[in-house]
Amino acid sequence: MKQQSRLGTIPGISYVQKTARNRGWPYVVAWLHRITGLMLVLYVFLHILTLSGLSDPVGFEQKMQWFQKLIPLFFDWFLAIPVIFHSLNGGRLILYELFGNRLDQPVLRGVMVGSGLYLLMLAVIMIMGDQSVSPFLFWVYFFLASILCGYLVTLRLKRSGATLLWKMQRVSGTFLFLMVPAHMLFMHLDPVIGRDAQLILTRLQSPFIKLVDLLLVVSVLYHGGYGVIGVCRDYLSFRGAQLALLVLITTLFFGFGLIGVKLLFLV
Amino acid sequence: MITTYQITLKIHRYDPALQKHWTQEYQVEAGRIMRFVDVLRKINDEQDPTLAWGSSCEHGQCGTCSMKINGKPLLSCELLVENAVDFFNTTTFEIEPLEVAPRIRDLIIDTEKAYERVDRVKPYVIDPAPADHDDVEENQISPEDLERYVDATRCINCFCCSSACISSHRTFLGPNAMLAAVVRVMDPREREKQQRLDVLYNENGVYRCHSSKACSFVCPKEIDVAHFIALAKEGL
Repeated sequence: MKQQSRLGTIPGISYVQKTARNRGWPYVVAWLHRITGLMLVLYVFLHILTLSGLSDPVGFEQKMQWFQKLIPLFFDWFLAIPVIFHSLNGGRLILYELFGNRLDQPVLRGVMVGSGLYLLMLAVIMIMGDQSVSPFLFWVYFFLASILCGYLVTLRLKRSGATLLWKMQRVSGTFLFLMVPAHMLFMHLDPVIGRDAQLILTRLQSPFIKLVDLLLVVSVLYHGGYGVIGVCRDYLSFRGAQLALLVLITTLFFGFGLIGVKLLFLV
Repeated sequence: MITTYQITLKIHRYDPALQKHWTQEYQVEAGRIMRFVDVLRKINDEQDPTLAWGSSCEHGQCGTCSMKINGKPLLSCELLVENAVDFFNTTTFEIEPLEVAPRIRDLIIDTEKAYERVDRVKPYVIDPAPADHDDVEENQISPEDLERYVDATRCINCFCCSSACISSHRTFLGPNAMLAAVVRVMDPREREKQQRLDVLYNENGVYRCHSSKACSFVCPKEIDVAHFIALAKEGL
């Protein structure tokens, strides 16, 4: 028999290795996609609730002081792990399902390497903490690129006989593929950007930034809501339970959507 | 060279009369090229005739002997003891039935219940297209057409894919049922496509597939099941 590696004796790692041996690495990655998706849904809820504090700029800035401490700052960086992994792996799934890419193994490696590089870059930017960029140019570039990606996927989906809701999940995912990592990057170019209530409120006066943020909120909540419903439907076989879940999740996501939209239009 | 292995089988058992579930351990001296079906038969012959398990062709063609060994769904007629020791890096094997249908006894599941899901896609030609030449009665398939889906026709409905799938078995019809639907949609001899498309794009159809590709990974017939389901998502 083969000698087991030291790494394989650690319970969690040994479980993952066994799962990969029995079901393949894409199966493990599919679970990671689910877990990171759920983490991001919680993150988005928290993010919207935090930003809703902008109605009281002084209180908001006081709260934000806490995020300047080292441990919260580390968690801020740590949250980029689910963001970038979910985005890149989502891109991989779109390539596999809709663009006929069957060279999935190299793309999967690319997801891992790409995620690592993004996290490294973000860490460096966070440490430097004094980068500046024109918000308008930054968002014009990423917004147009995301719209283009979404359009390409829409074209590919024309032949599919799937429902409109399913197609919208794919299109919203493609739109977010660049937008969410870009949003995270933008917010960390200069830490002041995210903590200065007056700066945020001024930026939100721009109709273009409003449009970008509105599409971000709507896409994130639709994509997340549909994803959560999809995962739950795998396990709930009773029609009544499925319906109750649908009402519950739709109400919850719609509620957070309203908070987000209200925030954008009341400033 | 090792010619025999002392192996331990931990078999998940179930007695329907007593409604009792338990795990029973068997120590077996097994030859290196014995298959797991041979090992189970040896247990029946030498240790415990009450252990129930199923098999039919024992040549990897019928799918009756599928079970989970150390968590991996596979055909027990295809797995040699030597290969199992090498693959799982152990001489202890936990054996369970596939969880895709209710259990009847020990390692035997109600395959009729499992097949109900495949039957929903009507895995046969409903409305055959007329012969394309006057001098032949059969409808011929061009090699190019056949090439697109011939791999999918090798499915033996062993339900290993269904067992490995990330989506649970509660709502998803299963990768093998999807495969059967895709084959009939791609088959030029079939004129009735809509009934299969209705099942494919049903709540229990492709929407339950999350492209975890475990189906392709475990398929004993080496069919890239996930590829065919992805084709259905893209639009056949």
